[in-house]
Amino acid sequence: MKLKLVYSHENVKKPILAKIVLKTNLLINIIEAKVTANMGEMIIDIPSEGEQLREVIDYLRSEGVTVKEVVRTIEIDHDRCIACGACVSSCPADAIKQNEDWSVRFIEENCIGCRICVYACPVRVIQALGD
Amino acid sequence: MENRGAEELRTYEEINRRIQSGDVVVMTATEFIEYVESYGLEKASKDVDVVTTGTFGAMCSSGAFLNFGHADPPIKMVRCWLNDVPAYAGIAAVDCYIGASCMSETRPFEYGGGHVIEDLVSGKEVELRAEGRVTDCYPRESLETTITLNDINQAMLVNPRNAYERYNAAINSSNRTLYTYLGVLLPNYGNIHYCGAGELSPLYKDMNFETIGIGTRIFLGGGIGYIIGEGTQHNPQNQLGTISVCGNLKQMSSEYLRGATFYRYSTTLYVGVGIPIPIINKRVAATAALKDSEIFTYIIDFGVPSRNRPIVKKVSYAELKSGKVEINNMEVRASPLSSFQYAAKIANTLKEWIEKGKFLLSRPVELIPNYREFKPLIIKKREFVVKDVMTREIVVGRLSDSIKDVARLLTERGIDHLPIVDDENRLIGIVTSWDLAKAIAQDKKDLESIMTKRVITAKENDLIDIVVKRMAEYKISGVPVVDEKNHVIGILTTDDISRKLVGRRLL
Ligand code: SF4
Ligand code: SF4
Repeated sequence: MKLKLVYSHENVKKPILAKIVLKTNLLINIIEAKVTANMGEMIIDIPSEGEQLREVIDYLRSEGVTVKEVVRTIEIDHDRCIACGACVSSCPADAIKQNEDWSVRFIEENCIGCRICVYACPVRVIQALGD
Repeated sequence: MENRGAEELRTYEEINRRIQSGDVVVMTATEFIEYVESYGLEKASKDVDVVTTGTFGAMCSSGAFLNFGHADPPIKMVRCWLNDVPAYAGIAAVDCYIGASCMSETRPFEYGGGHVIEDLVSGKEVELRAEGRVTDCYPRESLETTITLNDINQAMLVNPRNAYERYNAAINSSNRTLYTYLGVLLPNYGNIHYCGAGELSPLYKDMNFETIGIGTRIFLGGGIGYIIGEGTQHNPQNQLGTISVCGNLKQMSSEYLRGATFYRYSTTLYVGVGIPIPIINKRVAATAALKDSEIFTYIIDFGVPSRNRPIVKKVSYAELKSGKVEINNMEVRASPLSSFQYAAKIANTLKEWIEKGKFLLSRPVELIPNYREFKPLIIKKREFVVKDVMTREIVVGRLSDSIKDVARLLTERGIDHLPIVDDENRLIGIVTSWDLAKAIAQDKKDLESIMTKRVITAKENDLIDIVVKRMAEYKISGVPVVDEKNHVIGILTTDDISRKLVGRRLL
């Protein structure tokens, strides 16, 4: 499950993720991190589900971290796509690939929701879904 | 080249007779390459009459002449807009030219001339707004109405520069994401964008320009068009040849004319161009048979903001099309910006038109030159560089100075920035009066702990405009000026700029 974490200046210096790793032994993968002295944003992948995932999320929230589930973030209108490929290497997470005939396919599990592709598409056929 | 354009294997008339009798042999460039690999160039050049090509990419230098007809009372348009995109109206009373990369005044970067052309071609209504100069013969002052492609008289796509033979690819060595006319370039060599159609590229398939010239009939935007001359910036000796083309917009299709936007750069138009290459002699057959692995281009570093951007690597289209290119021992992902899928569709459509007898070839009335001097623009007006404006008599500090000394120095000299140097006058940091205030508040004692170590600097020949942009970007009010070896030779502050430069410019 992919989560987006937003830290405030009060909790950004605390070793919150490290504590979770020590407590649960989960191999948390940090996909993207933007951290400054007074705030932070992170996208992590937690290889867990059910009760254990709930506990992790509850713990993060109790430490004042805002937690959002990263859901399906973009949709490509294949009828209007010109198969150019501008979105492919612009995607930092390798979530859009080009097929043999140059048409594109979206690999949802790789997507980190950054939306660079939405702006990279010259004919604007990639839509961002919700927030 | 001797006998450039010589019809040795077959003439245009022979080809057209075979088209009309239905026994012409046409192959797309991709099929021709395979045929040559199986049977050799000799046989292929005898067997095949025409090779078709195609490209579908962003071609900014595109646009359309439109004639609206006269309103009652009539107007002499001096300014006009189509869906809020300004069109050039300085032609005659009711003619205009709408350029693909001109952006809407109300929705810039989202909608532009390219989109207007796409909307017209797909039959949509477009808002026309115009202002006129009142004369005795043209009494009307302004008008507002809507038009469709059907309503207007002539609509001619006239593109001064299309179908680049190849195009430079782009990479970004800097540490920030760049938004360019070659797409989004991720920082630190994060990706490569390239365009051009490689082995389907119309001009590359006749790279000596033996069959391509004024009057060549082509596939343009889904309809039929003509080459009207060499394109602007035509530079064939470096395989950067271009053509200018025109065609009747009314018979084109929005499938092959797509309005587009390069984020934070501009709007543009994706144009489909396909050229039939008659195999008139063996040299033409040989260029038509060039493969992706034999067609090269350069990867250019857009992280360097000057005209002479460094070449990072020479690559073949085969390597680019593999999706990965090795740069500095790293695999960098590469993706195209122009569509190979559409390029292939265009080459196939053109082949079908010729096979069905719907499209005859035309002998150009004049070939396009295969050499053209390429001139840069020289700026004759003097542009100010850092050394014109910087302060040379500067005060510097050393790590051994105490915070008190530094504070005194700054107040005595009335300055805000103190570069800190080592024993050889090389820059190691900078202290500002703001840093000092903080140091005193936090009771810090040594200079090293308060100075900024990653200093933004300038070189004495940098353009002032570029340095000002850099200062605004990092929100700083002064930069030390250093030489190649990082020795401090001056300082440039916003104060210097406003005092010396604004004064001079106003003179
Ligand atoms: S949103 Fe970001 S990660 Fe997802 S596909 Fe687009 S560019 Fe890739
Ligand atoms: S950038 Fe847009 S048009 Fe091009 S392949 Fe991606 S989705 Fe399709």
